Amino acid sequence: MRFKYVHLLVLVMILLSFTASMKSLKINDTFRLLTPQTEFEAGHDITLKFSTNSDSKPDLYLSNSYGSIIIKPVINRSSLSYQLPKSLGNKTGMISWKLLGSTLYGKLNIHPKQEVATMETYLGPPSIETGETDYTMLVVIPTDIHDNPLKDNTQVSVMYQFLANESHDTIYMKNSISYKNIYSKTKTGRMLISSECLNKNSKEYDINILPTIPTDFTITYNRNHEYADGNQITTFSTSIIKDKYDNIVSDGTYVDFFITNASNDILKTSGSTVQGIATAKIIHPDHQDIWEVKAFVKGISESDSISVTYKQSITYFKVAFSEGNKAITVGPLKSFMGQMIPDGLEVKLHILQNNIKIKTFYKDSFTGYATFNLNLDSFPDSTYTFKIETAGIEKTYRNIKL
Amino acid sequence: MKKKTNKYLIVALLLGLAFHGTSIFFTLETTYDALIHLFFADHYANSWFEPWNYKWYTGFTVMSYPPLVHQAIAAFSFVGGLKLGLFTVAIISIILFITGVYRFALLMTSNKTVAGYAAILAVLSSSFVETLHLFGQLPSIMGVSILMHALPEIYLWIKTGKYRYLLTALSLIAVTVTSHHVTPIFGMIFFIFPLIGMVIMDASREQVESIKAITLKVFLNSFFKLFKRVISFGMFSLIIIIGCILPYWINSKNNPITQVPIPHGSRDNFLEITSSGLVFFLIPWGILLILLPYIFYRYYSKRYVFFGLSITILFILGTGGTTLIPKLILGDTAFNILTLDRFTLWASIMSLPLFGEFVYRFAEGDLKTLIQKRLGAIYHRIVGGILAGLFIFMTIFTMSLGYFRPSQPQQIKMLPIINFLNQDQHDQWRYMTLGFGDQMAWLSAQTNAMSVDGNYHSARRLPELTTRPIERLENSKFKGLEGIGSLQQFLTTPEKYHLKYIFSNDKFYDPILFFCGWQRLRQLENGIEVWEKLNIPPMPSILPKDDVATWQKILWGVIPFLTVIMAFMLNIQSLWIRALKTKVTPLPEYLNFKNDYSLFSKGLLKTTHIWSFFLAMAVCFGIYKFYIKNNAHHSPENAIIAYYDALDFKEFEKAHSLINPESNTPIAQYMLEISVTDGLLSSYAKLDAIETIITNKTDSLATVKVHTNWITPLEKINKTDHKSLIKLNGKWFIQPDDIDLDLPPDQLYSNNVTTYFNQGRRRITTQQTHHEDILKQPVLEVLSAKLIKFDNSYVLIGEVQNIDNVPADVVLKGTLYNDANKELATFNAKYHVKHKLMPKEVSSFKINFEGIAWSKTQDSIPKTFNPDEFTPMEFHEQPTKFNLQVAGNVSGSDLYKKATLSDLDISPDMINGKLFNSGLEEITIPQLLFTYYDANKNMIWVDHLFLEVGIRQQRQQAFEYSLLKNNDILLISNDMKNCFVNGLPNEAISNKIVPNRIKNHTHTKLQSIDHPNYKFIKIEMNNYIGNPN
Repeated sequence: MRFKYVHLLVLVMILLSFTASMKSLKINDTFRLLTPQTEFEAGHDITLKFSTNSDSKPDLYLSNSYGSIIIKPVINRSSLSYQLPKSLGNKTGMISWKLLGSTLYGKLNIHPKQEVATMETYLGPPSIETGETDYTMLVVIPTDIHDNPLKDNTQVSVMYQFLANESHDTIYMKNSISYKNIYSKTKTGRMLISSECLNKNSKEYDINILPTIPTDFTITYNRNHEYADGNQITTFSTSIIKDKYDNIVSDGTYVDFFITNASNDILKTSGSTVQGIATAKIIHPDHQDIWEVKAFVKGISESDSISVTYKQSITYFKVAFSEGNKAITVGPLKSFMGQMIPDGLEVKLHILQNNIKIKTFYKDSFTGYATFNLNLDSFPDSTYTFKIETAGIEKTYRNIKL
Repeated sequence: MKKKTNKYLIVALLLGLAFHGTSIFFTLETTYDALIHLFFADHYANSWFEPWNYKWYTGFTVMSYPPLVHQAIAAFSFVGGLKLGLFTVAIISIILFITGVYRFALLMTSNKTVAGYAAILAVLSSSFVETLHLFGQLPSIMGVSILMHALPEIYLWIKTGKYRYLLTALSLIAVTVTSHHVTPIFGMIFFIFPLIGMVIMDASREQVESIKAITLKVFLNSFFKLFKRVISFGMFSLIIIIGCILPYWINSKNNPITQVPIPHGSRDNFLEITSSGLVFFLIPWGILLILLPYIFYRYYSKRYVFFGLSITILFILGTGGTTLIPKLILGDTAFNILTLDRFTLWASIMSLPLFGEFVYRFAEGDLKTLIQKRLGAIYHRIVGGILAGLFIFMTIFTMSLGYFRPSQPQQIKMLPIINFLNQDQHDQWRYMTLGFGDQMAWLSAQTNAMSVDGNYHSARRLPELTTRPIERLENSKFKGLEGIGSLQQFLTTPEKYHLKYIFSNDKFYDPILFFCGWQRLRQLENGIEVWEKLNIPPMPSILPKDDVATWQKILWGVIPFLTVIMAFMLNIQSLWIRALKTKVTPLPEYLNFKNDYSLFSKGLLKTTHIWSFFLAMAVCFGIYKFYIKNNAHHSPENAIIAYYDALDFKEFEKAHSLINPESNTPIAQYMLEISVTDGLLSSYAKLDAIETIITNKTDSLATVKVHTNWITPLEKINKTDHKSLIKLNGKWFIQPDDIDLDLPPDQLYSNNVTTYFNQGRRRITTQQTHHEDILKQPVLEVLSAKLIKFDNSYVLIGEVQNIDNVPADVVLKGTLYNDANKELATFNAKYHVKHKLMPKEVSSFKINFEGIAWSKTQDSIPKTFNPDEFTPMEFHEQPTKFNLQVAGNVSGSDLYKKATLSDLDISPDMINGKLFNSGLEEITIPQLLFTYYDANKNMIWVDHLFLEVGIRQQRQQAFEYSLLKNNDILLISNDMKNCFVNGLPNEAISNKIVPNRIKNHTHTKLQSIDHPNYKFIKIEMNNYIGNPN
């Protein structure tokens, strides 16, 4: 018995469900679209009307590129009105609709309002190089009040100001944008750009046209005197460095100055340009020397090579031993006019035993003298060779007893 | 019997609240732990039920610490802010501690006066003062206080078997475990087990006539009788310990602590490292040390014998690494994870009842009688005065330790930092603090921005952190090699962690930041320097987290407060009755076992005297040693060590006091000389080790060779100086060194330089930077790049040029691949590149592929300290290709290029030369980059040298560089196909901007050297300006 009840219940359930689904599938209702218009301007009220002969109220399914929505009708006697929400009607493009529960479907096209509300403008990169090959791209999208780009083939004017010139170009909307590649000129400077569409003007945009890579240049030097006293500054300067279009290179361009001295060692100083001129400073050597100087912008350009000669400033010095050879006084150290050399000249004392260097002491000169006070504890009693070196001159004292 | 409130307890509570309640406002925030608990509390205040915290360590779970105290602070914070919560909870724990000690002492001694004495002593005991005011361990105090409250209930349950007591005992255990997990576990062993022993002893006592009559048999009998109660209590408490913080145990099981142990002072050998001995042994024991014979004597009496065993073990474990025994008892793992100071804390707390007892007997009991009779009343008074004086001295000493030796940097005003992080979407990136101490937790609590660092090391997850024994990156300078090593990995590859901002409160880290490619942004108004790294992507909006089941979250959020409510409800009745004496109740069972305070042992008095004498001798000897070691003029070694210490701590006046007074160096002259020296060694070095060798010594003269090791943020510097000393009037003085006599050529001079300023956004707005304000990334060009194998490590070397018209910050990122294009390693250029390039400037670069040091446990961590150490990445496959990504960003800072190479002297294994500073800024740390070439002028290696001494304007500085001797350099690849600049192919860019590049342009200007493997070298200069004008 119980089994039968279950059967019965299942049967009733199936039947019930059948009738329920039948209800929504009444296809004998007839609907007819009453709105013939398929082209609209964005922002207008759009209402789709259908005539009906039944009392069913089917929903309308709408879909555009932003998403889909289902809306309910407003019944007015024998017609159904579907008012499209603003979110759909304000956006250009195609809207597909389908009346649910019927076979009716269709498409609407929304067009932008041909009136510019904003000029959406992009310009980049903001800086380019001279030389008519580098360019920046201007993208202008005139949009209506609902943020829709205007129709294709809408005319957009682009205005330029560069140095003494003002010019303009006409471009057209295509695929919802208008764009222009703006090539650099041979001169550096700032180019101002604006655009206009249907009497609406954009704000001012600018790009900087910067110089291209430097070309070869020359260098000079400047110093207070020609003596190698280790206490003056020699300044090297470049000529005004320009690119191939005769523009002064950007401030800050880094120039390496390589100095090859008489012993073939490479010294180095550097400068970065201000108004095209790079200056680099270096201190005078403390011994006579000949410098070959050449400047480089690596891989790009270089200068001529110049030669700078430094004359010996100290030609002779005395050495005095005292306190059992513990104190060694070097000096007077006299410079080119016989004046005491300015403080800070390095004096080296090498101590050798059997021609092997044991120790080197360094002292700066002070009022023309350098005094070494040896700590005798560090040296076993023996004889040593002392080598004293300063300003490129070397003096050797053999068999010094400590 | 008329019940009276215990006056001593009232006094203890009033004293405790007045003393601690006021002083916590001055101490608690500078303790080690309090701010960490505050940070956790902030987490609960914001998301009570969500255990995941993003703010530290790229995310961690707060289920790694029992929550009760944090949740309590959080709950109070809803009323009046986090700090109010902290102080409220601190005051509650003070009350709980004092009452806890009272109840514990009453249980132990069955004498209310003694218990009252113990409570008063507990208020001022140095171990409690230290734990609260120096360590700030609130959960630990809370845990141990409630455990002490639980002890009488446990006693009564086992003794009487009334279920009421079982419930109250268990409820209190539950509160203990939710406040601190370690306390009930070890409390079980060290407090509850001996207590159970004592109960059984008491039960046995009731069987026999006297305590002496208790035999093992009687004891065992009682034990079996009470066995059921003991076991049931044990089982239930086990369930509670596990159940109440179940998510904690699950988390510990899922994320076992696999990290390298972090050194802790409590594991040191206290005799060697006396500062640890002071903090972890002398202070917590304090005056109890004098009473040790009494404490041990009493605890080894029959009734307390189990406490005797317990306190012995605690005492020994508390001695840390002084002897080998703690390590043998605990085993290596536990020894290295546990901080052993807690054992001493527990031992000192366990001693409190007996301390109270001693004072009672001394002040009004049999000991007083004994001393007065045998040694006289005056002696008694003097000894009493001395003991009281010592006790108060220890309290004051402990309280003021944080004042005299601050464990934390000065309090930092956080508001400017918080404002900075809130501005301009700076919180879209992670930040890091340097030199903030534990205050970094307070900053984290106040901002939404996230840090890569953190202050709860058990929760660390990044292998870069867990493999190092450092607590925080924050204070890495104190952790030597491991610390700086870890830090520099974060600084070199910050984009991995979205780390863009660093707040530095310590100038020490400036050089490492600069040479890792960071730039100074500005100084905030609180003096904190902000450093920034360019080219870091912001954090993604969805961050990973380890989620746990909802039931765990609910359990975690609900149980702790539930345990408090339960405990409150169960104990309120007895508390009410006890406090207000509303009802006459029978005396608790434990009050039946009175001690006899009528006959103080004479032998014990004698032993205590001998022991005190011995202690006094030890103290005197210690003070003598301390004096000898610290009397700077005592010996040449002392003078040298004191002099270097003074220099290290920048105490120039003290350093000057060690200079020969007859050398005509007045302090003004000395200070002037010091003030003009700058550089890595004088401004950024920390003295690590010093060794003095006396090469010659007479009665009045000495020459000393001083070997010093200095830790700088960049590298370790070993120096050997020769110093002469002279003895004048029995004091040793150091002869001053020569000073630099060089006179610069010009008095006033000028330089024309180009400086830059990037506006950022031109309009003041909270919106994102407008597109027209975004600058073009400067175009760079990789001139050459090759993959080199050297000694099992792989490096990328090459040259990069800024070919744009604006200065560029350069980030170089290299990635290595094998033949199957599998990515093997990636790293950024660190020291071996000029990070800031002027237009058209070139820099050589080298990218080392660094591994995470000691990532394998078998790698032993070297004991020595070397921030320069490099751990090559281990490759299981052969790298054959590389990808080099170069990114340029406009930067106007750190563009000082005025170091010139003014002299060179090349020998086969050495380059000596001089640098001249021709510009307007003082160069703090000059760096030289050496590029090595072979005979065909092919670049084969890049090396660097930091000069220890800075270069003042128009001065020269000599340098000395040893040429490298390595010879097994192997070229793996020089295919530059995969070099990209700002994401675009290098070659295309190069062809566009520099189409007719002069190849090998400056090759004629390479310095030739006489070396078997290298024939040419190129020297480039890079400079760090510490104090830009």
